[in-house]
Amino acid sequence: MPSDESWLDRFVSGLPETRVFQRLASWLLVPYWAWRTPVKPLPGGPHPSIQPGDNIQCMMNLIMPLKDKSPIGRAKAALAIAQNKDAIYAGLDNVGTVHFARFVIVGDNICMFSVYDGDFTNYIRDFIATIGGVFNAVVKLVEGGDAVTPCEHNVEAFIQWVHERDLYQVPDTATDLLRDQEALNGDKASFGHDDLRLLPRKVVLQLRANANVSLGSGYRAYPGFSAAQVRNQLGIGW
Amino acid sequence: MSTVFDAADVQGNILRGYRKPRVRYLILEVADRMAARRWFAASTTGRDDVPQITTGNWGRTKPETCFNIGLTYEGLRALGTPGSSLATFPNEFIEGMNARALKLGDVGPSAPETWPDPFGDPRRIHLIATIYADEVAQLDQVQQRALTDGEAFKLLGALEGCSFPKDAVHFGYRDNIMQPRFAEVHDGQRYEDGQPKAPLGTVLLGHPTNFEGLRWRVPQPEALGHNGTFNAFRVLEQDVVGFEEYLDQAASDLLTRPQIDELLPPGAEEKIGQALSIEGLSRHAALREVVAAHLCGRWRDGTPMALSPDAPDPKVDQANFDYVGNSRCPFGAHIRRCNPRGGQIVQRVANNSRRLVRRGMPYGPLYDPAKPRDPTKPEPERGLLGNFIGASLGAQFEAMSCDWLNLGLQDPRITGSNDPITGANDPGTSWFDLPLKSGTTIRLRGLPRFVRTRGGAYAFMPSIPAIRFLGSLMA
Ligand code: HEM
Repeated sequence: MPSDESWLDRFVSGLPETRVFQRLASWLLVPYWAWRTPVKPLPGGPHPSIQPGDNIQCMMNLIMPLKDKSPIGRAKAALAIAQNKDAIYAGLDNVGTVHFARFVIVGDNICMFSVYDGDFTNYIRDFIATIGGVFNAVVKLVEGGDAVTPCEHNVEAFIQWVHERDLYQVPDTATDLLRDQEALNGDKASFGHDDLRLLPRKVVLQLRANANVSLGSGYRAYPGFSAAQVRNQLGIGW
Repeated sequence: MSTVFDAADVQGNILRGYRKPRVRYLILEVADRMAARRWFAASTTGRDDVPQITTGNWGRTKPETCFNIGLTYEGLRALGTPGSSLATFPNEFIEGMNARALKLGDVGPSAPETWPDPFGDPRRIHLIATIYADEVAQLDQVQQRALTDGEAFKLLGALEGCSFPKDAVHFGYRDNIMQPRFAEVHDGQRYEDGQPKAPLGTVLLGHPTNFEGLRWRVPQPEALGHNGTFNAFRVLEQDVVGFEEYLDQAASDLLTRPQIDELLPPGAEEKIGQALSIEGLSRHAALREVVAAHLCGRWRDGTPMALSPDAPDPKVDQANFDYVGNSRCPFGAHIRRCNPRGGQIVQRVANNSRRLVRRGMPYGPLYDPAKPRDPTKPEPERGLLGNFIGASLGAQFEAMSCDWLNLGLQDPRITGSNDPITGANDPGTSWFDLPLKSGTTIRLRGLPRFVRTRGGAYAFMPSIPAIRFLGSLMA
């Protein structure tokens, strides 16, 4: 490790938690760190896993900035969802792997949160095939959406676009964040060599690159079941 | 986009199989870009003694030897395909098979880090050339011609497969019964199977797919992408001894179960023995066959469980059946997982959309259960050299591998279990349900992983005009 990094460490550790410092830190120090240590945004979605239990009830958290940042723009988004309500229900029924989908407007963003089973790309692809029109109605109100609509004719690009907007899910175990960073950089050499003192700084820098994140991957009150397992168990058909 | 379809524009092993008994795969690295391009240009006509690429229109007589190629993403790069064009290929192909390990269940003993060379260094794998022939001497001869200029490619490795009588594969099943059928292709080998004909876009880029209204992106320029397809080439090692041992263990276990007479009514072993031409078949031996049939969804002779759940029957149609109603084919059986046909599944839009063309051949010596084994000697490696072909790796091969084979998402009654034959099973957690006439099930546990991935690559199989295009690249 270069020696100037250790003075920085000492300097940082020694600073009191004053307000002035906090201001200073967010305006100067963090950008300076970020400039010294560029950090790539981590990809969104659940962590890949082979355990069947990890691959059901997965979360998608899309935050999509509206093109029209005004009450009118927000109203248009609200209308787009309301007008497509029946199609959404039909889509959920036919795709079969979704537990629920929620649409939320936060600031000038339309957010789509859903809980789905299985592979993300399969889920989005099946949705495109079933109710692509609903996606088009929403995504065309969103910044950058024109490039990937109609989704039926831009399947691969659309899936990628959605994936890029899905929030990174910060692992519950802090050091797993380092694993994700290593995986992103294709870096296997440093595996297991965690300098835990650097962790907070790495988290700060990562949250600078991924401004919106999901904390954890959702916490369930009961073990995971697929949507179809729940429906089958309740005897309501699947 | 051209509308008239001409099979002569497409490589020959895609729409129809050659049914040649021998195959050899040459795993090649581009050594000299200019020489490789010359080789590509020559391969469409067979000029300069380069073996000619076999097309989908081979006329009345099948050529004595057939020759086809697939390129990896690294291969397209090595040939100098422009970056703007490379960027139009799908993500999964760009990343390559090794990077998709988790989706494919390639973990633990199947993890890419354990793959022997040449698959240990995927960046060097550029081209997979495939030779089909009747005799080894012919394979040698075509191989020599393919590498004759000594400049274009470096041979990283070769793999050889050989078919067994009656389309048998290791584990003793008859394979090569089902393939998608295409309206545009006459194939005397394929019979009415009660399934909708597959649209060409199932397997060729630029045509309508099984998803109504959806088209996959055709890699650009059109001359490169149109009529091309993607192949998941897999080296799948099969643990035949482990499989036979498991059948023994499962049969012994079943004999102790109270519902056993429902699965195998007293005297039913005779009927199974008759069908297999074995006199005096014991209940244990019959149960081994019953288990094998349930795992696959077919008796080892190919008889579908859906039509004949109690015993193999040579008179039963092997292709034309469905999983509607109270089919006794287990929901988790291999062929039902891979192709749910008209049966109810969770993903209602996916009944036909994940179909694959399969071109596989066994490798390694045939296992003879009658021959005593020397337990001090390691078994020779055997398995399947599989090609899983479809216009979208993501929507077909990967979708099938992750959600259907290794999660069982398509049916709540199998969710959380893996494919019994080819899944990433762990004996500590694995299970498989045998359905009974009464509607209840018997659960088998302790299935190990019978199939281990030993290598593979995602390859793009360009059309004939696309091979010409690659041969004419400049700069
Ligand atoms: C060594 C591993 C494997 C063995 C021994 C094996 C064996 C078999 C057998 C015996 C059949 C029945 C023959 C037929 O219907 O044509 C079959 C069918 C099939 N297999 Fe496999 N298989 C293996 C791996 C795979 C994998 C990895 C996939 C897909 C990712 C797959 C996909 C299929 C499909 C799509 C069918 C046709 C089902 C139908 O249309 O009814 N197989 N396999």
